[in-house]
Amino acid sequence: MTVKPRLSHLLLGVAVTSFGWQAVTAQSTDEAAAAIAADAGDLPNGGTAWWEPGEGRPIPEAIEYDNDHGRLRLYNVDGEVVTEGHPFFEPLGPNGRACVSCHQPADGMSLSLRSIRERWEETGGSDPIFAPIDGANCPNLPQGEEASHTLLLERGLFRIGLPWPPRDPWGEGTIEPEFTLEVVRDPGGCNTDPEYGLDSANPTVSVYRRPRMVANLPYVVHRNFGIGPFVGKTGEPALRDPENGEPVNMNLMADARVPTLGTQASDAAANHLQLLRGLSRAERAQITDMQGQLFAAQVYDNVAGDLLAGPGGNAFGPENLAHGDIGFLGNNTTRWVFPVADEWAEPQPGLTEEQNERRASIWRGQQIFHFRTFWISDSMHLNTVGLGNPVKRTCATCHGMHMTGLDTANGWMDIGTTNLPWAREVPLNPWTDEEELMPLFRVTCRDDVPPHPFLGRVIYTQDPGRALISGRCNDVGTIVMQQFRAFAARAPYFSNGSAANIREVIDFYDRRYNIQYSEQEKTDLENFLATL
Amino acid sequence: MKNLYPLSLLALALAANGTTARAQDLAFVACPIVQDTPSVPCWLTEYEGELYYMGVQSDVSAPFNPPWLGHMALVEGTPSATGERICGGLVLDPVRVAVMPEMSPECDERLVAEPGYVLPFEPRRPPGPSSGRLAFSPPQPPPPPEPPFEPRTFPVYFPFEGAVNFQTPGALGEILDYARAVGAERIEVTGYRAAVLLTDGTVLEERSGLAELRAGQVARMFEGLVDSVEEIDVVFDEAAEPGDWQDRRVDVRVIP
Repeated sequence: MTVKPRLSHLLLGVAVTSFGWQAVTAQSTDEAAAAIAADAGDLPNGGTAWWEPGEGRPIPEAIEYDNDHGRLRLYNVDGEVVTEGHPFFEPLGPNGRACVSCHQPADGMSLSLRSIRERWEETGGSDPIFAPIDGANCPNLPQGEEASHTLLLERGLFRIGLPWPPRDPWGEGTIEPEFTLEVVRDPGGCNTDPEYGLDSANPTVSVYRRPRMVANLPYVVHRNFGIGPFVGKTGEPALRDPENGEPVNMNLMADARVPTLGTQASDAAANHLQLLRGLSRAERAQITDMQGQLFAAQVYDNVAGDLLAGPGGNAFGPENLAHGDIGFLGNNTTRWVFPVADEWAEPQPGLTEEQNERRASIWRGQQIFHFRTFWISDSMHLNTVGLGNPVKRTCATCHGMHMTGLDTANGWMDIGTTNLPWAREVPLNPWTDEEELMPLFRVTCRDDVPPHPFLGRVIYTQDPGRALISGRCNDVGTIVMQQFRAFAARAPYFSNGSAANIREVIDFYDRRYNIQYSEQEKTDLENFLATL
Repeated sequence: MKNLYPLSLLALALAANGTTARAQDLAFVACPIVQDTPSVPCWLTEYEGELYYMGVQSDVSAPFNPPWLGHMALVEGTPSATGERICGGLVLDPVRVAVMPEMSPECDERLVAEPGYVLPFEPRRPPGPSSGRLAFSPPQPPPPPEPPFEPRTFPVYFPFEGAVNFQTPGALGEILDYARAVGAERIEVTGYRAAVLLTDGTVLEERSGLAELRAGQVARMFEGLVDSVEEIDVVFDEAAEPGDWQDRRVDVRVIP
């Protein structure tokens, strides 16, 4: 007996980001920027930061881009990547997009809101990233008008259309969901649209998510600690690689709906590039080969300077990532989640007092990440996996994978980014005319299944997350965790772009779990996260 | 192919699991209480005026998995004969705790750390990062089976009202190893549900249909994992007689 996971009709993953970049151009006369480049060993800078599909520029072995916190380096382990004719960089489909359109080098191979806005201004909304299929709130809205692209222009979100009810990944047909789904609010208009909505001929749920990083992916798809035939958090069978039948870690995309980088590439080509012919095997291999050797991380902090200066900074820079231990659970003795040794924080000769103070703050932030306990409560697939509710732990409990802060095991959980009452919502009162951008769904769990353990039988959510794939009540609002790398290059954050900057990420956790961080702790944590 | 049969229709001569009540020293449903300490928190509960200690927070590998605030818990345990107390609670050992599925917002008691109180043992897992390993090592796998290969039955236990969950894969590993080693041709999965006779005389019964659900979910977990298996039979017994935690289970019979 064999089981062949059904892989069709799955869409591109999604996700994150941070502060925008400012390319250090070859013509720049900015002395500081020149000095930065010199410190880094005269690596090529990003030049014209935006990569047009099909422009044919090669990506050198290493290249750097400035952002608001410092500088990001991309590192190609196998050396220069020839992009001419490469399927990741060529506009394969009819809408003019390439993979690189939404996975820009300057943005840590994601796509920052700043880049999106700049493209709108520079092209008058004609850049392929604004293609109606998913760059508009709904494909049938008038193109070229900001009002049709508000979710992308204001939150950096692309539309993901998913079939409802979910298709059965293990066989033919569909899954019988454990809940009903109603549209409560639909500012984008797509969920109630007669052609594209839930009541259309092809019932579809539209959710809006950020594009995820396409770098450091060997960590994302590892098959080491915690990966086996079954999902560690739920016990369900793990998806399997269609090439070899091996179980995968299901940490790709916001809802883990595809098993491998290859299937993700095919899915994205069909649904985002509108490439009806599909990717050839060779094209898929070219894309995944490149994804396996591309690493991205900050190397320079605008205040602390060169992050790789001095001993003990093994957490920093893409080279350390490329040569790190992949797929291991971090710990506090031999393999920290983000290894920053004590001596790194010691005053370094040749650095200014301000630089040394910032290094000390970054180190304190790393310590907070590892050791500052707080009570984590009511979080599905975290409090429910044997730890108890609440559990007294730290950031590193969930963000435990060495070097990336990913979940080592299959990692979707609900921390409240999309589920009410924790999700960001525009406050309703008589004194504001601001309108919420995100859709809102009412999920009602069937009487014959257990209620969601922390939200009950009726749940309001902006994005049901994994539940749109599994059909399970207790998966509502669960989202696959993202890596912490290139934070500084790819705002806004969370799958729904609800945190505009790193501080808003910290504030979300502080509010959600009543952590009561001091202002100094928030500053240290922000300084630390910005160096990753 | 998966075949699904109610057990009553098969007239199989199965062992009378799930039909014999086994006495527990205490079995009750109550709110859990979390008691902070300078290290990991203790989990307590109160029943008929006595405070009981159930265990401490650890990690996913621990035999004791703390319950959840916001939910009642079914507690089945034996009070310490020596009167040992931890975190102020009379120790229950052994103890089994199952989270009740329905929400109980009244279960919200969090106790601050008692000044000067120190746990009488070093927690296996601190509240911060691990020391690079799980707190509790899994048991050593048994040696590979030697021929002649015999049919063998493996029990897989569930918490009260629970189906497949994060604990289940650990129980299935040994079964998978055996099925692969012996080149199993057939797997039979039999699901049960049960009831508990509480200390106060009340009988608490698991929900109807749970035996079928458990069996079906476990059978699905084997699909495609053992190449030699051509058929997985799914059987279930929805009778729910008072018993103990061992009656809340699925039996997986591996037939070479």
